[in-house]
Amino acid sequence: MSTNEIPAAGKKKGMRDILVCALALFIICLVSAAALSITNSITKDRIIKVEEEQADNARRKVIPGAESFELCELDGGTSIYAALDTDGSVIGYAVSTTDTSYGGEIAVMTGIDMNGIITGVEILTINDTPGLGMNAKNESFRNQFRGKPGGGLMVSGDASGDEIQAITGATKTSEAVTRCVNKASALIFGADNAAGKEADGNGEE
Amino acid sequence: MTKELLAVLLTAILTQNFILCRFLGICPFLGVSKKFDTAIGMSVAVILVMVLATAVCYPINQYVLVPKDLEYLQTIVFILVIASLVQLVEIILRKYLKSLYNALGIYLPLITTNCAVLGVVLLNIGNNYNFITSIVNSLGGGVGFMIAMIMFSGVRERLETSDIPRFLRGLPITLIAAALTSCSFLGFSGIVDNIFR
Amino acid sequence: MEKNKALSHEFTKGLLKENPVFRLVLGTCPTLATSTSVASAIGMGIAVTIVLTCSNIVISALRRVIPDKVRIPAYIVIIASFVTVIQMLVKAFVPALDVSLGVYLPLIVVNCIILGRAEAFASKNPVLASALDGLGMGIGFIFALACMSTIREVLGSGTFLAGIKDLLQVFGEVDFNGFTIPWLSEHPMTIFVLAPGGFFVFGCMIALANRVAERSGRKCAELNGCGSCPMAASCRMTGEEGRK
Repeated sequence: MSTNEIPAAGKKKGMRDILVCALALFIICLVSAAALSITNSITKDRIIKVEEEQADNARRKVIPGAESFELCELDGGTSIYAALDTDGSVIGYAVSTTDTSYGGEIAVMTGIDMNGIITGVEILTINDTPGLGMNAKNESFRNQFRGKPGGGLMVSGDASGDEIQAITGATKTSEAVTRCVNKASALIFGADNAAGKEADGNGEE
Repeated sequence: MTKELLAVLLTAILTQNFILCRFLGICPFLGVSKKFDTAIGMSVAVILVMVLATAVCYPINQYVLVPKDLEYLQTIVFILVIASLVQLVEIILRKYLKSLYNALGIYLPLITTNCAVLGVVLLNIGNNYNFITSIVNSLGGGVGFMIAMIMFSGVRERLETSDIPRFLRGLPITLIAAALTSCSFLGFSGIVDNIFR
Repeated sequence: MEKNKALSHEFTKGLLKENPVFRLVLGTCPTLATSTSVASAIGMGIAVTIVLTCSNIVISALRRVIPDKVRIPAYIVIIASFVTVIQMLVKAFVPALDVSLGVYLPLIVVNCIILGRAEAFASKNPVLASALDGLGMGIGFIFALACMSTIREVLGSGTFLAGIKDLLQVFGEVDFNGFTIPWLSEHPMTIFVLAPGGFFVFGCMIALANRVAERSGRKCAELNGCGSCPMAASCRMTGEEGRK
């Protein structure tokens, strides 16, 4: 409409045109920004709650028998939670670690008991190819980790001892998950030592 | 560091090719790949806008949206930034680089709604890349876009002269040819990993 | 009577005759990317339908208010707001869908079906007709995605409706989580869920749609360069302006 008017109209009309356009856009932006902030304030708490619930469910899955969890360490994508039983004594750790896989970052939750044996693995975020890398979510792959000592796990063609059988066609994803589990295990033994050292330090003070 | 960046670059170009593996930017892939010249023009414009959009959106996200807790506005802010950026680039090219404008200008408005551009910005943030890695990833995405477009324009020039069953003529055979081109990119999987191991 | 017929036509045309995916060839990116499983495809389809219907209503209501020159940015702002609202709602109530759609959920903003319908229909027609047009096109999109994803999931993973539990949990606890197809699940043709399978199945579906269309005397779906792109009009316009 207005495109056709421009040649006929004078400069004043052009100026007014610009103002009308700017005003219309401004009002639309204002209304949509208001709508968004309202929706955000409604859904924000729920989103946080859902995320926490999911993390809590994952922690419960990787350490069966835990009553409650206590945050030990939080550093970017890495977090360590101590799993407590009904008496309040530590029965293991739920560690979430990240690594780079085929389709970007993946996050894995690993459950480790006090002897360093892996009690369960859950995939928190993964963005790999459906049908290949996404199969890492399947129990048949994740259950391989259960009962193995963490730390030096390797990916190979067949599962025996410390070896994890790769998902068909997704060696990179299998390796990334295994690296996450190994990292988690290293963090716990590192964290344990650090805790020990800290206690020593306190003692000396 | 350089090794990491090279790995990101090659991944974006080959194993996670924007068109053939991630399905981002299919419209221009099917729409303007008929001739070699238009394929090149479109791809260069896409590379330019992808890198510029990342360079502008990254600081906006990092220094405005994240500190103010406004991450939920990402989608709307980025699409507006990209739209205005495209307009700005068009005006600048028209004014100062007339020859480049004549070559690329007609493709620029199409890029506003190209999902590859918004996609790369969102993927960079989703993957927690830093500024340099983001730029490298966008560059790789753009170059991968170009390689796919050029390869496919060659395939399509051949399709023009072949004898094709009646109901497969036109769009269906183009998509099936795209399937085969995409198959060839599956062969790259694992290659980046093994080069940089 | 006449009016009702016209309105019902706005609704039904999107289902088959002018199906956005198979006939108008719009929204190819999300169609290919999210049709790897029926559950995520239907989730995507519903999200697009909601955004499409809402944006059609608002754009049609504002069609006399928005100046012609800035209509594209105005449409983009309106669409992006609805997409962000949907994004937040999905994150809050169907988190599993947010995970499976990933980056394609915010990318609904640049889905050409939505901007295309805004430009071609909602900006010229009254509110009710636009709403019905959006709803019909959205359901046509869901139908197309469901067809493609059924073929891809059954052949490529050997399952049907796997992960549907995450979608249904909005309505309460459900125990149903899809079927496993006996022999295919042990020997899936993985290529169908990979990128080449997407292109291949899409090509075959369009060939089939063309055949059906030709039988009933309609034209084949065509690849008319940028013709189906919603930006084409403004593109040619700016191109001409530049040359003047």
